[in-house]
Amino acid sequence: MTTKDEIRDFLLTSLRAMRYDTSGIDDDTALGPTGANLESLAVAELSVRVEDHFGVTFEDEEAEQLAAMTISELSATVAARVQPASTPGR
Amino acid sequence: MSDTGVTVTGMGLVTSVGIGAAAVMGAMCEGRSGLRRPPGDHPLAGSLQVAGFGPPIDPDSVLPATETVVVDRYIVMALRAAGDALADAGLVIGRDVDPFRVAVIVSGTGGLATLEAQVIIRITRGRPSVSPYLLPGMLPNMGAARIAIKYGIRGYSSSIGTACAAGAQSVGEATRLLRGNDADVVVCGCSEAPLFPTLVDTFGNARALARGWADDPTAASRPFDRRRNGLVLGEGAGIFVLERTAHADARGAAGYADVAGWGATNDAHHPTMPDPNGEAAAECMRRALAVAGIAAADVGYLNAHGTATKLGDVAEALAVRKAFGTAGPPVSATKAVTGHMLGASGVVEAAVTVLALRGGLLPPTHNLDDPDPACELDHIRKAPRRARITHAMSNSFGFGGHNVSVVFGHPSTRLTRTV
Repeated sequence: MTTKDEIRDFLLTSLRAMRYDTSGIDDDTALGPTGANLESLAVAELSVRVEDHFGVTFEDEEAEQLAAMTISELSATVAARVQPASTPGR
Repeated sequence: MSDTGVTVTGMGLVTSVGIGAAAVMGAMCEGRSGLRRPPGDHPLAGSLQVAGFGPPIDPDSVLPATETVVVDRYIVMALRAAGDALADAGLVIGRDVDPFRVAVIVSGTGGLATLEAQVIIRITRGRPSVSPYLLPGMLPNMGAARIAIKYGIRGYSSSIGTACAAGAQSVGEATRLLRGNDADVVVCGCSEAPLFPTLVDTFGNARALARGWADDPTAASRPFDRRRNGLVLGEGAGIFVLERTAHADARGAAGYADVAGWGATNDAHHPTMPDPNGEAAAECMRRALAVAGIAAADVGYLNAHGTATKLGDVAEALAVRKAFGTAGPPVSATKAVTGHMLGASGVVEAAVTVLALRGGLLPPTHNLDDPDPACELDHIRKAPRRARITHAMSNSFGFGGHNVSVVFGHPSTRLTRTV
C-alpha cells in the first residue's frame, strides 16, 4: 500500500536527485515561487518522475496547479490516485 | 587604422591533449598524442579501438547544480572553453562592453548523446520517463544560449550546423559581424561530444574510422601518411573572443592575431565524400587570400583539415596545390594528435595556426612517417620548423561539401600577446 509518507519521501529524494537543497523544505512548503521556488521545467521534471514511479497521470491542465501545491498536498493528491478512495458500503 | 580590423583577443580550448592552445601546440611539437583505447568497461569498447577523450570537467564547475541533471557534455565543454576564452581576453561583459554589442556564435552537432540516452529510456520505460530537461540539455543552439545566459551576451546569437566546417565558419561569420560593425565583440567557436555508441557505430559502419591500431592507438591518426586508413573521432571545444581592433585598443587589450580574411564554398558534389578534383576547396582558399588582400606566397603556414581518410587527404592536397601552385606553404595537420573533433577541430586548429604565426614555430604532423605520394605537399615532419611568417591559413572541410578557410595575420592592436 502506497502511503502519503512514502510519496513525500519520494518527492524529497527526487528533488535531491534534481540537485535541489531540501534542508528547508517541509510538508507545508509549496513547490513554486512561494516556497521551494522550482521553475516550471523542474516542476515538470518532478511530475514525470512521480508519474513514472507510481504509475499515475497528471493532465496537462493540472501542471499549473502542481506548482501551487505544497509537498503535503501533492503527496495526498498522488496517494489518492494510486489508491482511489473507496467508499464504505452504506 | 582601419575600422574593419578584427583581432583575436582570447582563446579557450578543451581537447584530448589538454586544455588551452599551448597544450595542443606542445602536443604537436613534441609528438604527444591524446588518442587512446577506451577502457574495457566503456560503452564504446565494442565499437571503436581508439578515440580522443577529453579531460573530465565537473558540470558543477560551469553550471548551477540544478541545471546539471540532464545536460550534454558538449554544453559543459563549451561553457568551460568560453569561460577560459573570456578570462584570457580579460573581458567582463557589462563592465568592458555593452552587452547588446556582444554577439555569440557557438556551433556544433548538438547533444546527440543525451538524446540517445533519453530515446533508450523512452523505449524501455515509456512516455513518463522522458525528461523535460532534454531540449535545453541537448539542442545544438544551447551551447550558444548557455554562454549568453552565463555571461550576459545580449546581441546577435547563432549556432551554425555545417558539420566539420562549423567551428571555422563560426569564426568567419563572427568576422563578418565585426567588420560590419554589428558587434564589438563576438564569442565564437564550436563544441562537439561525438563519443557515444550510435554516432561511433555509424562512422564505423560507413568504414570511415581508422582500424587495426588497437595495439598502438597513438599511431592511428596519420594524416597524409601512406599507411593511413581512416579518421579517429575525438571530443573537444574551441572558443575565440574576436573583437573589433579599435574596441580592443580602446580598452587596452592585447591581440593574438588578426583575422585577415576568410572564404567559404561548397563542393556541390556528395553528402559525405569530397570532390576529388578539389576545385571548390581551392576556390575557398583563393577567396580567403583575396579577402585578406594577400598573395598565395604570403602564406607561411597552412594547417590542413587533414582527417587521415584515404580520399579526403588526397583531395585536400590537390586543392592546396591548385590554390598555391607547386611552391605551396609548409603544411601540418593537428588531427594526428587530437583526433577529429568534428566542428570543434576548426577552432582548435585555428588556435594552433595563430600560435604558429606568432611564435614563428611551425608544428609537424605526428605519425607522418611515409608521406603518400598522392598527397604531395611541403609536409612538416618529425620536428617543428622555425620560420618568421606574415600570414597563416587554416582549412576546415565538412560533410555536405562545406569548405571554409581562415587567414590570420599579426595583430594590429597597439598591444600584442606574447606566445
